[in-house]
Amino acid sequence: MPLTLDNRVVECYRSEEMRDKLRKWREDNYRNSEQIVDVGEELISEHASKLGDDIWIIYEQVMIAALDCSRDDLALTCLQELRKQFPDSHRVKRLTGMRLEALERYDEANKHYDAILQDDPTNTAARKRKISILKAQGKSTEAIRELNEYLEQFVGDQEAWHELSELYINEHDYGKAAFCLEELMMINPHNHLYCEQYAEVKYTQGGLENLELSRKYFAQALRLNNRNMRALFGLYMSASHIAASPKVSAKVKKDNMKYAAWAATQINRAYKLAGRGTKENKCSMKTVEEMLESMQITMS
Amino acid sequence: MGEVELSCRAYVKMYLHTCLFPRCSINGLLLSSSPTGGAVCVTDCVPLLHSHLPLAPITQLALTQVDVWCSQTQQRIVGYYQANACVSDNNPTPCALKVADKIAEQFDNPVLLMVRKTEVKLFYRLSLTCWFNLDIFLLLLDGSKMSPDYRVPPIVLYERKDSRWILKDKHTIMLRQWEETRAIASQMMESGDHTLLVDFDSHLDDITKDWTNQKLNTKIEELASPANGNI
Repeated sequence: MPLTLDNRVVECYRSEEMRDKLRKWREDNYRNSEQIVDVGEELISEHASKLGDDIWIIYEQVMIAALDCSRDDLALTCLQELRKQFPDSHRVKRLTGMRLEALERYDEANKHYDAILQDDPTNTAARKRKISILKAQGKSTEAIRELNEYLEQFVGDQEAWHELSELYINEHDYGKAAFCLEELMMINPHNHLYCEQYAEVKYTQGGLENLELSRKYFAQALRLNNRNMRALFGLYMSASHIAASPKVSAKVKKDNMKYAAWAATQINRAYKLAGRGTKENKCSMKTVEEMLESMQITMS
Repeated sequence: MGEVELSCRAYVKMYLHTCLFPRCSINGLLLSSSPTGGAVCVTDCVPLLHSHLPLAPITQLALTQVDVWCSQTQQRIVGYYQANACVSDNNPTPCALKVADKIAEQFDNPVLLMVRKTEVKLFYRLSLTCWFNLDIFLLLLDGSKMSPDYRVPPIVLYERKDSRWILKDKHTIMLRQWEETRAIASQMMESGDHTLLVDFDSHLDDITKDWTNQKLNTKIEELASPANGNI
């Protein structure tokens, strides 16, 4: 009985492993480009024959990751293989455009995308690439305008709404950012991240009404995911601010102090749990404890 | 019109923070363990965010927590740094100035750093551009100016006069043992140590992670030559 595995078996196992990794990253839409390049490059150069038809989608994935890491050599290799196999494909044309974008040859990239759109005006990928170019060039106002136009047609596109909310946040246009997040919450009411981001925007806008809304949505985020620390801290801070406001009734003050106290307990508990067994974050636990205490004092 | 001194530890951690999130805007706080008066000596930094920089709650939370930690450890917040995702932007963002103002309200003589970097390069080129006035020091790291082999920190200072930022003498910012600092930063990036860095955002995703980065501090100290004493 052989004591060592046949080399071919080992290789086969290894290539399966790498393939699975790439698939998982693809499905979860991770942007861990350096890892994808590492794994993908090896897979392509040494195990191409075992990949079957998967190889084309892997070429695409690795090419995009390579662009992200400034590996134009690798990107070009992948692109050339794809071009050979799919000479008239819009999808490959889009990749050609992306490579030009990475090389900052934006005018040429735009020409590629315009050509795609001439052929197929409903091609959302090409439209999004054009908007990405505007963003890369720092033309936020135009990017926002184009994205708004896009969303009039493609109202359910979560990715686009989220991108738009980010653009508005960067422009400090919190009202419009909130609107985008409202659309997102309607499309996907169970996503705790949208609730939490909406709450953060409302908090940032400030004023009593917005603070109360923010508290409500931090609470909602917690209902959807009770491990969301940002929501927990957000609940604490918004409730504390409301309770400290001179404009609220005694009842509102009392209620909010209750919410804040509850949140503080949860925060302390979470940090105590986290602190068990590791010396490392003992300082953050102490810090949080002291912070919560000091904030309570200023509140009354 | 004093001098600003940047320690090895502060510079390396800012650099690694920038490298860890090359496609995001990032920011952080600058700390000092030196007494007030004379030159501002930035001895450490706390990386804060890599998402939604302009939003208030987490920034406020982080400022408060870092402030508490500082009082527990005899440090004080002396400033703020930021890097933009988009390198075509040559000025500090409204967000950076807003936070700088907020810090200026609460802390004396804050230092403000802006880090600009290229988007799709693996090895990030950083230079130091510094704006400051008596109240606010603004430091910009310019991504387009340096290669990994840069010899001298290309430092440009700006001074704030009458609400405008104007060029300031670059000789008033100091990095001791610059060659060594630069080497340590590059080495740590190349060996993947930037993945060890924890910013406040990452801490909120997993509160067992340490945003004071004690492990990383130790590593930096080990790499710094023992003959140089404290950097």
